[in-house]
Amino acid sequence: MWRFLVARACLLVVLVLAASSAMVAVTSLAPGDVTGEAHAAGGSPEQIARERARLGLDRPPLERYLEWIGRTVRLDFGTSFRYNQPVASLVATRAAHSAILAGVALVCAIAIGLPLGVVSGSGRYPRCAGVVGAISLVLLSLPPLLIALLLTFVAARTGWLPTGGMQSAGADAWDAGRRLLDLAHHLVVPALALGLPLAASFERVQQAAVAEGSRARHVLAASARGVGAGRWLWRALWRPTASPVVSFLGLAAGSLLSGALAVELVTAWPGLGRLMFEALATRDTPLAAGCGAAAAVFLAVWTTLGDVAAWWLDPRMRPGAAR
Amino acid sequence: MRSSRLFLIPGILAVALGAGLVLLRRPVSEPAPSATAPQRPVVASLRAEPRSFNRLVAGDRSSAVLALLMHARLVQLNHKTQEIEPALATRWTLAPDGRTYTLELRQGVVFSDGAPFTADDVVFTFQALYDPKVEGPLTSGLTINGQPIAVRKTGDHAVVLTFPEPYGPGLRLLNALPILPAHKLRDALARGELAKAWTTATPPSELAGLGPYVLQSYSAGDRIELARNPRYGARGPDVQPGVERLTFRIIPTQDAERLALEAGELDLLNSEIRPDDLKAVRALEAAGKVKAYDLGPALDADLLWFNLGPDSRKPAAARPWLDVRVRRAVAHAVDRQAFVNTVYLGAGTVVDGPITPANKAWHAEGLPRYGYDTAKARALLAEAGLKDADGDGLFDGAKGKPFTIELLTQRGHALRERAAAVIAADLQKAGVTVDVVALDVPALVERITKGTYDAVFFAVTAGDTDPSANLDYWLSSGSFHVWHPKQARPATPWEAEIDRLMHELTALTDPRERQARFVRVQQILATEVPAIYFAAPSLTTATTTRIDGLEPAAMYPYVLWRADTMRLAAAP
Repeated sequence: MWRFLVARACLLVVLVLAASSAMVAVTSLAPGDVTGEAHAAGGSPEQIARERARLGLDRPPLERYLEWIGRTVRLDFGTSFRYNQPVASLVATRAAHSAILAGVALVCAIAIGLPLGVVSGSGRYPRCAGVVGAISLVLLSLPPLLIALLLTFVAARTGWLPTGGMQSAGADAWDAGRRLLDLAHHLVVPALALGLPLAASFERVQQAAVAEGSRARHVLAASARGVGAGRWLWRALWRPTASPVVSFLGLAAGSLLSGALAVELVTAWPGLGRLMFEALATRDTPLAAGCGAAAAVFLAVWTTLGDVAAWWLDPRMRPGAAR
Repeated sequence: MRSSRLFLIPGILAVALGAGLVLLRRPVSEPAPSATAPQRPVVASLRAEPRSFNRLVAGDRSSAVLALLMHARLVQLNHKTQEIEPALATRWTLAPDGRTYTLELRQGVVFSDGAPFTADDVVFTFQALYDPKVEGPLTSGLTINGQPIAVRKTGDHAVVLTFPEPYGPGLRLLNALPILPAHKLRDALARGELAKAWTTATPPSELAGLGPYVLQSYSAGDRIELARNPRYGARGPDVQPGVERLTFRIIPTQDAERLALEAGELDLLNSEIRPDDLKAVRALEAAGKVKAYDLGPALDADLLWFNLGPDSRKPAAARPWLDVRVRRAVAHAVDRQAFVNTVYLGAGTVVDGPITPANKAWHAEGLPRYGYDTAKARALLAEAGLKDADGDGLFDGAKGKPFTIELLTQRGHALRERAAAVIAADLQKAGVTVDVVALDVPALVERITKGTYDAVFFAVTAGDTDPSANLDYWLSSGSFHVWHPKQARPATPWEAEIDRLMHELTALTDPRERQARFVRVQQILATEVPAIYFAAPSLTTATTTRIDGLEPAAMYPYVLWRADTMRLAAAP
């Protein structure tokens, strides 16, 4: 286990460097730079030239990249060109916001997807399974962007939920309990937009696992001995069918990351996806690299947790375990 | 059961961790200045978060709006009348030399932290503005011919401003400059670190201003909470904001902004309503949910300009638009009324030049017009030497290919992309093929600054209604003389004449003499058509019915320029 964790930690370092280097490359090699905004706002050429020199943009990209690498290995992600603030603090705040959204979306996805997967995979409720399968198919084919737009529209028309943002105006003056409730209220639309397609994926995976598991000998034997369907379905089948689902958790990280960008834009959620989009659009190289690094950490940690959970659940999946 | 708990563990951990972070992370906040019963905040929108709370280094719209609310100016522009009015300077006189202003400052005014406002703050602000380590977006607009304005304190509440030369717009340029607290920022300036001061991470207690509102908290990317400044007095003791708390929600897309207005989550749009959303907003108005304000035509119209400067990619022979007849042909080829109907869905006004009818003092009638006439456009193109040898209706370019203009525009800006498509379609009818290339702003700006393009459809935003405030656009040496910027000497006789007239009118103070010269400038521009203007959008903005005391006008920020008179409407 420890060897595995050390290997994953090394992989994490490589992944972080690769992702942030890719961001540096994209923002440095794409036409234009961060001073384009100042130029469009009426800055004089002399002023823009001085700004470019201050930011080091007048030097060759390779030289800038090597300097950036030198700082990054010392965990210094530099200062955002646009905000004149340390990248680490900007990214940390937004990453926390994205973690809340991703966490709640995942809980929603699991809470909705797994029970429905059990129902549709058991073969005991064929009509219900048909409906669940159809809904899953629709949700799987709808991107989070579209679901976010749809839910925001419904929220605006009904007034039941906030259309966007993370907290209400004036929330800073409230006590912690009221702020938590307000946060939960604001989470409904983005978390569902992000979580529903994932719930459909969970449902499909769980359905297949339960369908296969219910044909297993020990289940058939239990059933033949008179063990009630509810008991074997909801208790005996959980553990053996959980492995594929837990393995899928790792893959879900990618969906959450890519979906978060669109959902955060539509629902004005102040997360990492929006910050990354803005950093790329304005060629804020240090900020884009910081966002890339944070996304890589998220991906690596999430998949590692998924693997560890899968091993814990099913010893056969551990490295070196006898099959 | 053990397994089911397992599924929830990562999610619950993430939620608990995140929620804990949000709850424990103390947003940089201050106690509310009023102990009275809390009033529901007025909520306004911002499209992007501010780059900084230091207006001297941040030129973005969000930072500018916040500076307007948190700081006061010596004089301010009345967006309705487009004339200046007193603020921190109550009176001023101009010496006979035409360049020395003596300003009397308002007495008894204090900053939001209680420190008194004196002439030292004015002197400090100019010092900071011109400091080479600070130099930011406001500096070039507050220099005359590259020279700074000299500021001298003549009393605790009196200053003398000496312009390097007589300057027609006079004190108008001071509208952009927020007066900063010397007692808060003097040390940072002395250390050469003023440019790093007052970032968005700075605790509100370190900020102080003379504006009607003070910063209470900033939640990165989400919202900015302001509270009424109980010590506000920049426009006299009688002018006091009637809104206790003002919250800005950062809403990155116009779709979300419109839906938030519809849901009653927004009280005030800080931008104009898109033509596509007008119908929905009118419906909300009919339902009594919002008040829509028709502000008339916009002050600025988007424009198409050709690259008349050097282009390393193409010889002059491959750039027929260097011939004025080609430019006039393009101006004739576009049906401006159809442009208004298609691009602005009818909510626009046909214009012939950069000075739209919204500019009350400087708009000129009777300029040369280019009516929609495809046949005339074709005739002008033929006159300029373009040929259609194969008779396919399209003029020929090099190597037997059709004559093609690459038209750059801004990607993601729906109206500009739509406008470029309309222009391309109309020019096709006149025999000119147009390749529309949409680029994001940094890439577009790079092409423009390198001069490697044929034509651009984009915007040039004027800093003020007075043309002398926009010399960068008019003078051939200007960096915003978009069709051929930064010329060492005027490349054409007509640019030389515009230069002369603009220099003259900038040095003159008599409005009629200035006006006469500027009409001539507009005539020259309309004759030579280096830039072609088609239409200005009609501006509409909206607020909910719960706020009152506003004077919306067509100059940005349309509503919040009068934030100090904003109040809650009396309950019906």
